[in-house]
Amino acid sequence: MNKHSKMMLTGNKAAAWGVRLAQVDYVPAFPITPQTEIVETLAQWFSDGTLTGKYTNMDSEHSMFMAAGAAAATGVRVFTASSSQGILHGMEALYTIAGWRVPLVMVNVSRALATPITLEPDHNDVMSTRDCGMVQLHAETCQEVLDFILIGHRIAEHPQVALPVLVNMDGFYLSFTREPVVLPEPSEVARFLPPYKSEQPVFKASQPMARASAVFGGATYSYFKIQQDLAVRQAETVFHEVSEEFAQYFGRNYGPVENFMMDDAEFVFVMSNSFATKGKAAVLELRKQGIKAGLLKLRLIRPFPTQAIADSLLGHHKVAVIDQNLSPGMGGILFPEIVTSLYSRINRPEKFLSVIGGLGGKDILKEDFFSIVEHLRSDKSEGPLFLYNDDDLKQFKKVSHIALAEKGGSES
Amino acid sequence: MIKTHKRVSDLHPEEIITPGTGLCAGCGGLEGLRLALKELGKDVVICNAAGCFTLLSVYPFTPLQGSWLYTTMGGPVPAAQGIRDALDVQLKKGKLPSQENLQVLVVAGDGSSNDIGLGPTSAALHRKLDFIYFCYDNEAYGNTGFQLSAASPFGSSTQTSPSTHEHPAGAEKMKKNLFDIWKAQDPTYIATVSPREPIDLSNKFAKAKTMSGPRMFICMSPCPTGWGFDPKDAHVIAKLAVDTGIFPIKEYFEGKVVHTKRPRKRLPVEKFLERQKRFSHLFYPERCEDVISQIQKNVDDYWSHFE
Amino acid sequence: MIQVRFHGRGGQGIKTASQILGSAAFNSGFQAQDFPLYGAERRGAPIVAFTRISPTPILERGPISNPNLLLIGDETLLNDSQVAPLCGADESTIVFVNSTKSTEQIQKQFPFPAAPLILDLTDRCQNFLGKGHILSTALATAGARILGNIDLKDLLEAVKMELGQSLKPETLQKNLELTQDIFHSLSPCTIPEKPIKALASSPLIELKQTPVHEAAPIILAPGNMALRKTGNWRMQRPKIDYDHCNKCLICYARCPEGTIKIDEDGRPQIDYEHCKGCMICAQECPGHFIQTIRESEGAHE
Repeated sequence: MNKHSKMMLTGNKAAAWGVRLAQVDYVPAFPITPQTEIVETLAQWFSDGTLTGKYTNMDSEHSMFMAAGAAAATGVRVFTASSSQGILHGMEALYTIAGWRVPLVMVNVSRALATPITLEPDHNDVMSTRDCGMVQLHAETCQEVLDFILIGHRIAEHPQVALPVLVNMDGFYLSFTREPVVLPEPSEVARFLPPYKSEQPVFKASQPMARASAVFGGATYSYFKIQQDLAVRQAETVFHEVSEEFAQYFGRNYGPVENFMMDDAEFVFVMSNSFATKGKAAVLELRKQGIKAGLLKLRLIRPFPTQAIADSLLGHHKVAVIDQNLSPGMGGILFPEIVTSLYSRINRPEKFLSVIGGLGGKDILKEDFFSIVEHLRSDKSEGPLFLYNDDDLKQFKKVSHIALAEKGGSES
Repeated sequence: MIKTHKRVSDLHPEEIITPGTGLCAGCGGLEGLRLALKELGKDVVICNAAGCFTLLSVYPFTPLQGSWLYTTMGGPVPAAQGIRDALDVQLKKGKLPSQENLQVLVVAGDGSSNDIGLGPTSAALHRKLDFIYFCYDNEAYGNTGFQLSAASPFGSSTQTSPSTHEHPAGAEKMKKNLFDIWKAQDPTYIATVSPREPIDLSNKFAKAKTMSGPRMFICMSPCPTGWGFDPKDAHVIAKLAVDTGIFPIKEYFEGKVVHTKRPRKRLPVEKFLERQKRFSHLFYPERCEDVISQIQKNVDDYWSHFE
Repeated sequence: MIQVRFHGRGGQGIKTASQILGSAAFNSGFQAQDFPLYGAERRGAPIVAFTRISPTPILERGPISNPNLLLIGDETLLNDSQVAPLCGADESTIVFVNSTKSTEQIQKQFPFPAAPLILDLTDRCQNFLGKGHILSTALATAGARILGNIDLKDLLEAVKMELGQSLKPETLQKNLELTQDIFHSLSPCTIPEKPIKALASSPLIELKQTPVHEAAPIILAPGNMALRKTGNWRMQRPKIDYDHCNKCLICYARCPEGTIKIDEDGRPQIDYEHCKGCMICAQECPGHFIQTIRESEGAHE
């Protein structure tokens, strides 16, 4: 392989390559669309000897996460992947293994949650893991997916973090989308991420230990939970250190957030994941029309990079947080987190707007961004703005007429 | 050759579980696990499912000379898979000296074993996971205060299957046949054991220890708190369970089921039932003849296959 | 507000005692609150329960650390540094102990902040109910009587409310007789007011990160459970008659806790620091060479 060779890869393949380059020892797996290509690829590589170690087909995501956590507690480098319903099915195990304080990396390929069941992306699945006590990195490109897996292992395995790290990518928009990805040189990866050696006690005969024993008494329980919080927070410092090192090795520099056309922006869109690409395009279009737009992309979701967000947003007047998720009865999940990051600061933006879009993979149009600007300009209420237009309703009516056997319905 | 135990003094002298745990005085399941671990030794890691035995290790204490991982109610077997795989990977890559290897042991109650954890267990049997499973069977969800599990026998009352005018029997379903469910997947070894039979129990664990693949144990666990008897009678009850034929002591190995402690002449089931509060509704205020004779019939039917 | 704390063991009816007192206070027109504290412990293990009684709405919840009245159902608990039943009691706390001892005797043994009240409830429970260890009615009655503001008829009604569902009529009747007996054996006390302390801020701290093995529930001390002495669970004590013991070791094999060790002479030795008193050994000894002794007597041997 040439140094820094480039390949056309889907997000899923990029993830698998990340695992391969990280020389992961153990992958417990369970298929779910749109993640399956990752574990299929890994199954092939473990089977043909490209990867050494073990790949185990598990019986559910709950079992898979338990196996992943237990293996990590036994001292090997672990990777696993899931999506959507799988994340929810394994939720108990996610809280459990994060509480164990064991390092591993998992990918979530975002897919909207039932009911109704669907295949296309939004972020309710990954947001549901927000409070588990894991570190979360969200990717916009297939390159970020690969790089975040390498960076993720460094963060997870850092003795002051020792937590699962979740790397998120959007189903379809990244998972099945091919684009050029730079493959780092394996020998350089081996220097950046040497073979795993646990710095915490692991299960072996010479070191009997009890882990995750029951705790009674709020003082002890609270201590462990506060320590978990400190470890997740510490991951931001570690992220900075590791990113800098990564940039030295591979030339790509990742901050916890990315500022796009932000310097003089009057209107700022806050976004994450693959739809941020669409946001960037819209910013350029709006600028052509004389509207000073900018975009703040979030990479690190947990720990929440409050200072970096404040540094980016202070001094800008109007901010729209575009959540590709919905907490019914409240609105977007990231919106209040962004507002909280700024509330006590002077010179904070004068107007915040919560926007909900892209649910179940519904496209966000450039026109939608124009509408958001209009809302930011107006005195309209502060309730969430749903990106749902006449055409969307027409499309829905076309199918609901059929479902309800109403007159005027057609299958065309 | 496996050394066969013949008398109590042959039991392995080392105690792998120290005293001091918060388990009920007179717990039959604890007695079973204590004897089992005497055979297995301290180079074990226990993956525990939520249940009574979760109270074995309560921070900052562990009674074990070996290792312990509390998992979830449905997840001890997949955790065992993860540990086994991780040990194997390290052994294979030469990162772990063989003397550091561990026997992976799942310790779960009948609720976890028959209900919430059965799916993952079946999956591990399918994968031929190299582990030992120890189910302490006290025939209900004991840790939460004794509610119905799929192991609660027909005619027993639990907090969620009370005997009422409408439902005089209490639990109306038959106890799930976990032994045969496991057997259908042909693990290396299955045995039922009773703390009342320490020699039989110890020999079975000594035997299982030399094998690989899935090895499963159901340990009948008289429960003074849930079954309603004086703790001192735990072994009296355990003996009656065997002598009435209600609890067959057997093993499955190389395709055959063998009863290792066969009752010579079976006592009537009511000798077992009448000593426990969970069956008291079968005798007071009046005798439920139909329920008692059904229980007797079930036992007779079982043994008729082997007589 | 009067705050009452009950100490006893699982199986003695301590939770029920707190409920009888709560219902009695409720019947007498007070606001009341009662609850038990469950830990990881079982039958025979130390148990705590609480009752709050007030003429005005109760703006408090959770355990009582500084009780007005402390009701100790099992005097062996006073030996127990983990339970520390006198914890939080001061000179203004009325302490009642179920004991056969005199006030002077018991004060010599344990550091009571003031002279405790004493009555042998076990003896009365044995007489009336035939079960000396079931203390629910007796302990609640002692509490109600000491408080002095609960009518006997309200208390009797409370006993019926709490026990009527589960007991046979004749057993309930015996409990009611027990109530009357204990009520008339004790006198009401004046409950001193607790001094009101000015509110000061709590000394909050900012935790620092610690290494994972300290920051998560990880125990690196195998077998340290033995540090917990469960010998205090025991209500009865097994005693081996070594003159007759033939070293068959059935007791050793049957002990669920592994508290019977084999000494150099091959004789079983009971570890009384941990033996919970399940008495399986006594029941199972083929020659009946293990005696059963009431713990409060056996402990002094």
